[in-house]
Amino acid sequence: MLDKIPDTMEAGRGFQVGFRVNGHPVTLEVPPSRRLLALIREDLGLTGTKRSCELGRCGSCMVLLNGRPVNACLTMAYQCEGADIVTIEGISAGGLHPVQQAFQEEGGFQCGYCTPGMVVSVVALLAANPQPAPEEIEEALSGNLCRCTGYASILRAVNRAIEQGGDIHEN
Amino acid sequence: MLQWREDLLRTPVLYQPSTLEEARKLKRELGAKAVYAAGGTLLRTLWENGTAALPEALIDLRGVAGFSGVRHEDGHLYIGALTELSACRSHGEIAMASPVLREAARGIAAPSVRNIATIGGNITCGYGDVLPALLVAEAELAVSGPDSSPWVPVAAWLADRWGSAYDPETIVAGVRLPSASACIELGGRRFEVYRKVGRREAFTPSLVTAALVGTIGEDGVLRGVRIAAGGGSSRPHRLEQAEALLEGRRFSAELMSSLCETVHEEYAPSGDAFATGAYKTKTAANLIAAELWRLLHPREHSPEQPVSPGEMASE
Repeated sequence: MLDKIPDTMEAGRGFQVGFRVNGHPVTLEVPPSRRLLALIREDLGLTGTKRSCELGRCGSCMVLLNGRPVNACLTMAYQCEGADIVTIEGISAGGLHPVQQAFQEEGGFQCGYCTPGMVVSVVALLAANPQPAPEEIEEALSGNLCRCTGYASILRAVNRAIEQGGDIHEN
Repeated sequence: MLQWREDLLRTPVLYQPSTLEEARKLKRELGAKAVYAAGGTLLRTLWENGTAALPEALIDLRGVAGFSGVRHEDGHLYIGALTELSACRSHGEIAMASPVLREAARGIAAPSVRNIATIGGNITCGYGDVLPALLVAEAELAVSGPDSSPWVPVAAWLADRWGSAYDPETIVAGVRLPSASACIELGGRRFEVYRKVGRREAFTPSLVTAALVGTIGEDGVLRGVRIAAGGGSSRPHRLEQAEALLEGRRFSAELMSSLCETVHEEYAPSGDAFATGAYKTKTAANLIAAELWRLLHPREHSPEQPVSPGEMASE
C-alpha cells in the first residue's frame, strides 16, 4: 500500500458520508463509490426515486442536490458529502406540490414511472426561472424520457404549473 | 452474451488529495489501478457499459486547490477545470468570451448531467464536445498546474493526448480563452457557430460536431475564419485547408461547393457502431457549408440574427 500522503484523505469500505435528505441529517457507512440512487432507495427506503437506465440517460432517478437536478444513478456517495438532497418525497412532504397537481390535472403521465423525475426537473426549473420560454422548458426536460405520453400532456402540465405559480414551494 | 464482471464487485479506494502534486504522486504510485475523477459522469457510463473496468482507486480532484472558478486574468478568461458544464452553458462571461463554447455546452447530455460533469473531464477524455469549440476559440490549457506550467494550445495538447507518449499523470487544471475584448476587431459582422448532429435531436451523444468562427466584412469577404470538427469518439481537429480556402474570399455559391469538397478531403473520422466514417465526413461537410450558407442568407433561415442590407454579402 502507499505511504500515507499528508492532507490526502483515503477511504475504502467503511467510508462515512453525511448529508441531508429532505431536511433530515443522515450519516451512512457505505463504499465511497456507492451510487446515490442506492443510498436513497436501498439504504434509506425512499423508493419514490425510480431506477431505470442507470446510465444517466432517462432521468427517472432525478433528485435535487443543493437545489439543482442531478441523476442519482451517476452521483456517487462521496460526492454527496455535506449536500442537501431533496427527493420526490421531500417535494410532496406537505401534500401535493403545485407541479404534481398540474401533472394530475393535465394527465401528464400514463404509467407514471418517469413522473417523479419529471416533477423534480420541473420544480428545479420553476424555482430558477418561474416564467420559462418554451425552449427553456424543452432544455430543462431534455434529460427526462417518457415512453408513454408523447410529451404533449407533460408540456401542458408544465404550462399549467407556470400559470398557477408552480415555483412556489409550499413546504 | 452475459459476462461475469468481477470489477463491478470492487469497492474502489477513494483518495482526496488537496494539491496537484499529491494527486500526481498518487497516480504515479498507483499507475493503471487508479483513475482521476471529478464529476465522474463519463466514467460511470463507461463502467456501466463495460467499456472500462471499475478501477481499484479513484483520485478525486474536486478538492484540489486552484481548479475552480471563472475569472479574468492577464487579458484572458480563465475557466477552472472543475467548472461544471452547466456553468459553461449559463455563465455570462463565458458567453461573451466564447459563444461557441456556450453553445457546445448546451448540447452536451442534459442539464442534470451538466450539473455534475466538468469542463476538465470533457477535455481530458480527448473527444469531448467542447473541444471543437475550444479549438476555434484558440483556447489554451493549463496542463498539470494552474501556475507552474506553460499554457498549451488545445491543438497541441490534443496531439499529445492522442499520441502514444501521453503521460497518464497529466492533469488539465484549467482553460483560458482570449477575453471578449481581446478579440481582434476586423470590422464587419462576427460569426460564431457551433452545431451538433447526434442520433436524435437532443440529449444524445454526438456523431458530428462543427464549430466555425470568423468575420464577414462589409465587402462580403471572409476573414479570420477558423473551423473545427469532431464528434463521437473521434479526435477533434481544425480544418486548416477549409480555413485557407475561405480566408480572404468573398461568399459565393461556388465557394460553398469547393468548401464541401475540401472538408470531404480533410475530415476523415473513423466509423463506429452507429455511423460510418463516410457518413460523418459527409455530415461535417454539409453542416459546415450549410451554416455558412445560412450566414449568407440570414433573412431566410435565421430571423434571430438580423443584419442590415449593408452587411449582406453579395453572391
